[in-house]
Amino acid sequence: MGARWPTRDWWRQAPTRLARLWRSSLQLRTVAITLLLTGVAILVTGVYMSLSISNDLYQSRLDQALRDSSRATTTAQSTLNASDVSSGDAGKNLLNTVLQSVQASTSSRLVAAYRVPGQDTGILAPPDRGSPAMNSVISPELREKVQNGGSKQYYQSVALPAAGDTDPGIVVGSQLTLPSYGKYELYIGYNLRDSENTLLFVQNTLLLAGLALILLIGAITWVIVRFVVEPIRVAARTSERLAAGDLAVRIPERGEDVFATLARSFNGMADSLQSQINQLATLSQLQQRFVSDVSHELRTPLTTIRLAGDVIFDQREGFAPATARTAELLHTQIERFDRLLSDLLEISRYDAGSVVLDAEPTNLVRLAEDCVDELRTLAEQNGSELTLDAPGGYFDVPMDPRRIRRVVRNLIGNAIEHGEGRPVVITVDSNESAVALTVRDYGIGMSPQDTGHVFDRFWRADPSRKRTLGGTGLGLAISLEDATLHSGWLQVWSAPGAGSCFRLTLPRVVGREITASPLPLPPVDAGATMPAANPATTGSEAHA
Amino acid sequence: MTSRILVVDDDTALAEMIGIVLRTEGFDPVFCEDGSLAVDTFRSSKPDLVLLDLMLPGLDGIEVCGRIRAESGTPIIMLTAKSDTADVVKGLESGADDYMVKPFNPKELVARIRTRLRPAPATPPTDELTVGDLVVDVAGHEVRRGDTRIALTPLEFDLLLALASKPQQVFTREMLLEQVWGYHYKADTRLVNVHVQRLRAKVEQDPDNPKIVMTVRGVGYRAGAAA
Repeated sequence: MGARWPTRDWWRQAPTRLARLWRSSLQLRTVAITLLLTGVAILVTGVYMSLSISNDLYQSRLDQALRDSSRATTTAQSTLNASDVSSGDAGKNLLNTVLQSVQASTSSRLVAAYRVPGQDTGILAPPDRGSPAMNSVISPELREKVQNGGSKQYYQSVALPAAGDTDPGIVVGSQLTLPSYGKYELYIGYNLRDSENTLLFVQNTLLLAGLALILLIGAITWVIVRFVVEPIRVAARTSERLAAGDLAVRIPERGEDVFATLARSFNGMADSLQSQINQLATLSQLQQRFVSDVSHELRTPLTTIRLAGDVIFDQREGFAPATARTAELLHTQIERFDRLLSDLLEISRYDAGSVVLDAEPTNLVRLAEDCVDELRTLAEQNGSELTLDAPGGYFDVPMDPRRIRRVVRNLIGNAIEHGEGRPVVITVDSNESAVALTVRDYGIGMSPQDTGHVFDRFWRADPSRKRTLGGTGLGLAISLEDATLHSGWLQVWSAPGAGSCFRLTLPRVVGREITASPLPLPPVDAGATMPAANPATTGSEAHA
Repeated sequence: MTSRILVVDDDTALAEMIGIVLRTEGFDPVFCEDGSLAVDTFRSSKPDLVLLDLMLPGLDGIEVCGRIRAESGTPIIMLTAKSDTADVVKGLESGADDYMVKPFNPKELVARIRTRLRPAPATPPTDELTVGDLVVDVAGHEVRRGDTRIALTPLEFDLLLALASKPQQVFTREMLLEQVWGYHYKADTRLVNVHVQRLRAKVEQDPDNPKIVMTVRGVGYRAGAAA
C-alpha cells in the first residue's frame, strides 16, 4: 500500500531522512555549503554592481539633462532678451516660439512654462503653457525652489505618465525672464526610459550570469569533492572490512599525493596487524597442540597407573592391613588425580579458545531430573534431601547437554557438600527470553568477600574445611566458562548462615541476549530460613 | 571359547597392563605396537575384538581403523586420550564401534568389551523382519535388498535390528545407547548420530532422503514402514 507514491508518512519522514542524508554524505554537505557561500558572495557582488551601474547611469543622464537644459535656457533667454514686444499677443507668440525652440534643441517634447506668481507689471502677460503630462508631475516644492532660485537650475526625479504605465524621468526647472512681462518658470522633462531599459538589461544579464556561475561552481565542487571523497570512501570501506576480520584487504596505492601516503601508511598498519594476528593464531595453535600433547602424554601413563591401582585395589582383602590401606589410598588418589587432570585440560581448552558449542535441543527440566536422580544417593549419604521444583521450562532449548549437565551436577554437588545436611532445592523456570535453574542450599553460606571469589580457579571458601567430595577447585570456574559459552549467566547469592543460591540462566535462542532471568536472585526466601544467622543479606553477582 | 582381543597401543606398559586385566577376565590378548603392522597382525591373529589407540607411530589409529573396517566387521573400540569432539567423531566415522577416553578403569573396559562381544540382547520373536524394502534375517545375521546382500558390521546390524524389531516405536538416542551399546548411564549421543549415518550410507538408496532409518525431529529415530 502506498508503495508507488509518496504517502503522508513518507512526507512526514522526509525531514528525518534529509537530516540523515546530511549527516551521512560528506559530498552533499560540502556541495551545499559551497553553493550557499558562493551564492551569498555572488548576490552581494551582483547587488553592488547593479546599484553602482544604476547610480552611474542616472548620474550621467542627469548631468546630460542639466547641461542640455542649461544650454536651452540660455539660448531661450538670449532670444527673449533680443526681442522687443509689449503687446499681449506678441508676448504669447514670443513665448511659444521660445518654447518651440527649446523643444527642438533639447529633443524633449516635455516643456512647460509657468508665470511666477505674484508679479504685477500691468501688461497682459502671456499665460502658462505646458503639456498636461508636465502639469501633473511637477511638485509644488520644485516650483517653489525655482520661483525663489533666480537663475539656478533645480531638478526632480519624477514618474512620467506613458502609455498605460509610467516612465522614470527628470524634470529640470529654471527661470526665464520675458522682458516687460516678468519672470517665467521653465520646466523641461527628460524621459529616462532608455537608461532604465539599459539598467534592466544589465541586471538581467548579471542575474543570469550569477545563476550560471552558481550552477557551474556547484558542478565543479561536486566533481572535485568526488575526487577527494572517493579515496576516503575507499579507505573507510577498507578499514571496515579489515575491522570485520578480512586481514588481507588493502587500499590500492596510486601516485604520490596525500592519499597515496594515507594508503601506504594504512597498508603498513594492516600488514603489521595481519602479521601480529597470524602470530597470535600460531601461538594459539601451538598452545592447543601443547594441551593436546600433554593430554596424550599424561593420560596414557595415568591409564596404566589406574588399571594397576584398580587391580591391586580389587585384591586388597588378601593384603596385610597396612598394604590394604595403601591400596585404598592409591585408588582414591588416582581417581582424584584423574579428575584434576580432566578439569585442568578442560580449562586449558577454554583458555586456548578451542571450545566449540555442540548445541542440540534439550529439555532443562528433564536434564535436571536426571542429575537429581544421579546425585540422590550422594545427597542421602550426606543427610540432604534433594527437591526439584519446576514451574516452567518444559520445552527444548538449544544447549550442549554434556556441558550443562556438568554444570548442574557440579552446582548440586557443591550444594550437598556445603548444605550441612539440610534440604537442597533445585528450581527450573522460564520466561520469553530465557530458561533458568537455581540450586539453593541452606548451609553455612559465605561472606560477601568469599562470594566474590567462588568462580576463581582453585579457590576454596574455607581452606581448613574437609573436602568430602574431593572437588578439584576448578568446578565452578569451568561451569562459568560453560555458561559463558552458551551466552548465558552463572550467578551466585550467598549470606553467612542463610545458605547460598547459584543461578544458571540460558538464552532460549543461542546467542540472543537475555533480558531478565526467570528466577529471582537473591532467592525469595533469602535470609528467612536461618533465624540465628546474620540478618543482613549480602549478594554478589558474577556475571558470565 | 576364549575371545581373542587385539590390543594396538604403542605404550608397552599400558598394553601389558591391559593384557593383565584381560587375562584376569579370561580373554586372550594379542599385542601390536606399530600402526603399520596393525592390519597384518589383525589378519594373522583373527581377533574377536580390537582395542585401538588413536595416536600410533607408523600409521594413524583412524587410518588403521578404516583399513580394518574395510575388510571386516570385527568390533573396534578406540582408546583415546582426547575427548575433543573432532577426534572422537573422526574415529567413529572411520568405523569404530565405541570409544573409551583415557584414563578408564578396568571394570568399564571389561564391561564394554563384553557388550560388543555379546550382541543382540533383545531377541525378536520372528526370524525375519522387513524394514522398508529390506529383509533382515535375524538368525542368519544378514540384511538383503531383493537378492542383494548388504554387508553390515555387527554393531550396524544390532542398530538396525533394534529399530526394526519395534517399528512402531520411536527410539531416543539414550534408548539406543542402552540397547545397542550397553550404556546404563548418560553417554555421548554422538555415537548414535555417527553410526546412524554410517548405517544409512549402507542401507539407504538415497542417504539424504532416508526411507529405512527415519529421523524424528527432536526425539530420535524409528524404522521406516515396511514396503
